[in-house]
Amino acid sequence: MTVFSLIIINKAGGLIYQREFQPGLRKLSTNDYLVLAGTFHGVHAITRTITPKLPLLTPTATASTPTSASSNLASPSGTSTPIPPTTTTTTTTTTTTTTTTTSVAATTYTYPIPGVPATGLESLETDKFRLTCFQTLTGTKFLLFTDPHMANIEVVMKKIYEFYADFVMKNPFYQLEMPVRCEAFDRNLNGWLRGRT
Amino acid sequence: MVVYSFYIFDRHAECIYKRRWLPRPVSTSGSKSSRPTSEASAPATSAPVLLGQSARTTDDDAKLIFGTVFSLRNMVRKLGGEDDNFVTYKTSQYKLHYYETPTNIKFVMLTDIKSPSMRVALQQIYINLYVEYVVKNPLSPVEHPGGVGVNNELFEESLEQFVTRVLS
Repeated sequence: MTVFSLIIINKAGGLIYQREFQPGLRKLSTNDYLVLAGTFHGVHAITRTITPKLPLLTPTATASTPTSASSNLASPSGTSTPIPPTTTTTTTTTTTTTTTTTSVAATTYTYPIPGVPATGLESLETDKFRLTCFQTLTGTKFLLFTDPHMANIEVVMKKIYEFYADFVMKNPFYQLEMPVRCEAFDRNLNGWLRGRT
Repeated sequence: MVVYSFYIFDRHAECIYKRRWLPRPVSTSGSKSSRPTSEASAPATSAPVLLGQSARTTDDDAKLIFGTVFSLRNMVRKLGGEDDNFVTYKTSQYKLHYYETPTNIKFVMLTDIKSPSMRVALQQIYINLYVEYVVKNPLSPVEHPGGVGVNNELFEESLEQFVTRVLS
């Protein structure tokens, strides 16, 4: 098992941590890493929006529109005799019904796996490495570059998150969203990863 | 295994072919009747497919997918070297497979997350379908602006067969 490097991106898309553990990937300049972090942040959001949406049951949408149309037709016919003010009220009601039907039509899709919230990119495979992305509830992203055949990446990721919580978040001198410069975090992370190989 | 959609982008970053499949047999027959939906310039016929998609059209989807794939490919090349290839990525809902020919034609396929690597399948689509029915077609232009030449009957039919019979 080989862990090439770790990148941490804050919730605004800024690079706050980058370390290389084992050689294997090409080295980039600091500026390139910043660009990479920002690009990934954007791509991550886009990969969530392009999740395929499967139309739920198109008959329901088509069935709901005729009923609303029939009600629209029925209500003016019933109130056709009264004076103009009531007809204006009927027009307002018809507009409200049409808006509700459009909102119903807009929500008649489902994600491929119902019940699971759509996330952005979680893992990316190439010929030479595998990138695993873990997003915390607060929006911080951990990118782990590993060997493509490595197993149990979740364990490594969980441990890294644990170290982050223990040595970065509990560090009283650490400012949120700013670059991580915590010696204890580096030391523990390096030690643990070396112990695993 | 379910295939959601399939896109081809040429070297000018233009989407020259797109095709979407719906999981239910009823709806696939519906999309089959409106076969020219894969054509770039047919928004009216693709309307029934779009019922679920609120505001975004398939055109916008293709652009977003191209942007994603392009950025990721560049990122991967930067990190892994010029000969590294981006193969696939996965989210909690879907998997995107990518194959690029030496002539920079990009094949993209969206499937469900349980599907195995589709690199060979995309390669087969390129070799057995695209080259055979589009490139070797004497009436087909060299470039395919707006999908001209790609949307011929043989290619569409055999792609349909490949996806419905071989892959699922």
